[in-house]
This record gives sequence, structure tokens and C-alpha cells, in this order.
Amino acid sequence: MEFKVQLGPQHPALHEPISIRMTLDGEVIRDADLRLGYNHRGIEKLAESRTFIQNLYLTERICGICSFSHQTCYTQGVEKLMELVPAKRGLYIRTLVCELERVHSHLLWLGVAGQEAGFESFFMYTWRDREVVMDILDWISGNRVHYSMNTFGGVRRDIDEMQRKKILDTLGLLKQRTDYYLNLAASEPTFVGRLAGVGKLSRQQAIDLCAVGPTLRASGVPMDVRKDDPYAVYAEIPFEVATADSCDVLGRAVVRVKELIQSYNMIEFLLKNLPEGPFKVKAPRKVKPNEVYSRYEAPRGENVHYIKSNGSDKPERLKVRAPTLANYPATIAMLKNGFIADIPLIFAAIDPCICCAERLVQLEDARGGSSRVLSFSQLRAMANERAKNTDFTKREIAWPF
Amino acid sequence: MNPETMLETILREAQDKIREAALSAPRRIEVKAPRERLVELLAWLKQAFGLAHLGTISGVDLGESFEVLYHLSNADGTVTVRVQAPRSEPRIPSVCSVIPGAILYERELQDMFGLVVENIPDPRPLLLADDWPAGEYPLRKDWTFERPAEVIPGGK
Repeated sequence: MEFKVQLGPQHPALHEPISIRMTLDGEVIRDADLRLGYNHRGIEKLAESRTFIQNLYLTERICGICSFSHQTCYTQGVEKLMELVPAKRGLYIRTLVCELERVHSHLLWLGVAGQEAGFESFFMYTWRDREVVMDILDWISGNRVHYSMNTFGGVRRDIDEMQRKKILDTLGLLKQRTDYYLNLAASEPTFVGRLAGVGKLSRQQAIDLCAVGPTLRASGVPMDVRKDDPYAVYAEIPFEVATADSCDVLGRAVVRVKELIQSYNMIEFLLKNLPEGPFKVKAPRKVKPNEVYSRYEAPRGENVHYIKSNGSDKPERLKVRAPTLANYPATIAMLKNGFIADIPLIFAAIDPCICCAERLVQLEDARGGSSRVLSFSQLRAMANERAKNTDFTKREIAWPF
Repeated sequence: MNPETMLETILREAQDKIREAALSAPRRIEVKAPRERLVELLAWLKQAFGLAHLGTISGVDLGESFEVLYHLSNADGTVTVRVQAPRSEPRIPSVCSVIPGAILYERELQDMFGLVVENIPDPRPLLLADDWPAGEYPLRKDWTFERPAEVIPGGK
């Protein structure tokens, strides 16, 4: 018998309100359907009535974890519209914050993956180290979440010699601990066993469903905007695109750990080669009519902003596509034919996470096709009613204690 | 293949499917196409250059018509295919047969601009609330939002 179970939209364990309705056959998920829009804030419409400068702070507030990726994507696009060449030192500092953000986001993800796999101490370790990165971001920008570092033509704050030394010193600690996690993840059989083979997404599926970021790279497609379409100073920094061929959650974890190590090397390179000079240049207030398609490799994957200007100080249109939206079709493919127990892990692997079902079940009558929502007490009453009329053939068997 | 060669190939081999094509910025190619040939053009681009990754579909309200932009990327650059649909007849074909990952973007277009995507595999609303009034499309330029007057419960 098939039945449908709804997860979300509101649940204490979800960081975002999203609803998944699954068609289950026993423990196996046959089909999954997403319902979005519970957190739709109309930012694209709002951006049309704000000036370019005001939108810097609006785009930053699209996300709480990759706030800098949205702001940078928008800033780069507007700089192209303005035909502005940003200051070199400003670009280095911008790239530095980009990579620090990636480090904190990936450490956060590793912790969540550990928790979903039942490896709680891993969660404690990585989140402790994430505090170190958050502190570095606090030293640089004065903020832990919304850094507000970008401005058209560069960044808003410079970093001094003392900060540079302090970050380089702290980086050693992070590197050492990430190496330990890499060994741990590779040699801990229960952790590997839990992640391997879960949430399969073949290479062809990943390409067809337009997946992005670590989800795509773990299916063996080396697509990374930093390499394919270099922005900021990525064309000058040596780094490798991390990929994995296992096409499962384990691969996604491996890609993220590899990216962490790449990011540390990039941060070191950026700090050691920080050019002298101004960190921002003056930008015009109005923008000529034009349009731009700006791409950015956020921690979760390719982030896209399409900006159209009309000659005023406000954009005509700002279109934002966050990486998680691009990964939803792939997530549905991963959920299909998986087990209920794997839902949190599969969902966590693209980044939002879902733990357990809420106490509201939508029952769909397999014969009639009618659906209704029942409260827990009604469901209980129904179960009691059914129990009364059921013939328990084993009723005579005595309870041994 | 660099973007210049890609542009030459498009101009040479896909003449019948496009209106015009040009290089708009480094690694960015702009292609204008009639909406009737859109699916064919995307299938050709996918087969010829491996342009299978659809970044997103952007809709723009131009007043008399809607412009729909398909941003396709590969390792060499981005090709933006733009089609137009008049406001009186806002219909575009679905590209899900070529790019299955386009489904959420097409549903978003239907919600936000009231464009009718023909042959879309799943036409349900995606983002707007369940009780959203029919016929209201928030990203159209003539749609404005007025904040309702604040009423304090129990207040004067």
C-alpha cells in the first residue's frame, strides 16, 4: 500500500520552511514533491524600488550563511554595468572574505552531516572550529554574519599588518584540524558506512537536472565558476577543482573537505601576496542602461544574479537564483527509491536539513483518492476505533511477564 | 572552444534558428531567437557545445512584451538566449524536454509574470501562497503593492 507523508513546512529542526510530500511504499520513498515559497520575501520586487547602494545591503540579507556570496555576486555585476575597474587590494580582500566564508560554511555542513549520520562528536569538533573562522571574519569586518564588506569599486575596510599576522597564525590550527577530520572521515568505518551509497545521483542525472556546486562535483563533473568563469582574483590564485566519482553523500563530504584544504591554501596565498595601494575606487551613482549576467561560486554552488539597469540609480530588474533552488530537482531524484531514514542525510547533503516528521499527517485514501488532514487526537481515535473492530487472533497468547 | 569560435559556429550553422547573435562581454554570447524555434535551438546548442547547464531563466517586463532569457553555461562561457512574447499573447514553449532541470524556473515564470509555458510537465504554482488571488503577477511592472493600514487589535 502506498501512502503519503508530509514533512514541514514548519518544524523545529528545519532551518528553512519547506514542505516535502512523499509517496511511500513501506520504508521506501517512491516519489517526492516539494512545495516552496514559505519564505518568499519578494526581494526581487523590492530591489526595483531601491537604489544600487541600498541593494548592496538588501542582497546581503538574502541568506544568513552565504550572505557574502550574494552581495559579491551583485557587486560584481553592478561594477560591470558601471564599467568600473575595482582596486586590486580591494579585490584581494574580497576574495579573502569569500574563501573564509566558504570555510565557515563547509565546516558548518560537515558538522550537520556528522550529526545526521549519528556522529555527534564530529558535530561538536567542526562547530568549535567554525567559531575560529567566525572570529577571523569578525576581526576583518566587525561582524560575524553580515560582513557588509563590499562596495562598488572595492571593499569598505582595509586589513592591517597585525590582522594579517593573526589570521596566518590561526590558519595553521585550522589546517591541522581539517587534516585530522580528513583522516577521521576516511578511517572511521561507521561514518563511511553510513554515508556511502546514500542519495545516488548519476553523472548524467546531475548534468540534466542542472545541479550545482559540491552536489554536481561529487558526481564527477568538474564545474566550478572560479575556474570556468574567473571573477575577482581567482585567475591569479593556484587552486584545484575538487571532485569525487562516488555520486553519493560520501562523495559530497569528500568534495567539501578537499575544498576546505584548497581554501586554506588560497587564504594563505592571498594574505602573503596582498598588494599595496588603495582598497577602493570611487563609483558613480547612476548606471547606464545595460544588463549583466553575474556568476559566483558560493559554498553551495553556482550563484547567479541577472541585473538590468535603465539609466537611473535603481535597477530595472534584479533576478537572483540561489544555488539551493538549482539543487532541488536533483534532490528529488536522490530521494527516489531511498529509505525514509536517509532523508535527513540526503537533504543535509545539499545543505538544508530535515530531521523528523511533524505531528500532522495528510492521509490519502488509496481507493477513493480523497485526502484530509487529521490531528494527532483524531488519528488516535481512529486507531482505537479500528482496534475495537479488529479480530486479534493472537489475543489469547499470554504476556510472559 | 573559445567564445569567438562558438559565436562563428552559431552564426554559420544555426542561421535558421536565430534572429541575431553577438558577443556582449568577455565569455558572454547573446542570441536572439524567435520563440517558435526556441526548443530546437536549445537542443542544437546542447548537442553542438554541450551547453546543458541552465543557470536560470530570467523574465523581464518590457511593457508591450515580456522578454525571457535562458542563461546556458559550459566551461567556456555563457550563452544567453532571449525570446520575446507579446503581452497580449504571453506564451512560451517549455524547454523541459531538452533540459529537465528547467522545471522550477518555468514554474516560477508562470507565477511571477503570468506567462503560459506550453507543454510544461508540472504546471502547479511554485512560490506564491495558496490563497494568492488569481490573475495577479507580482513581477509585472504594473503590479504594485500597497501596504494595508495597520490595525491594532483592541486599539482605537
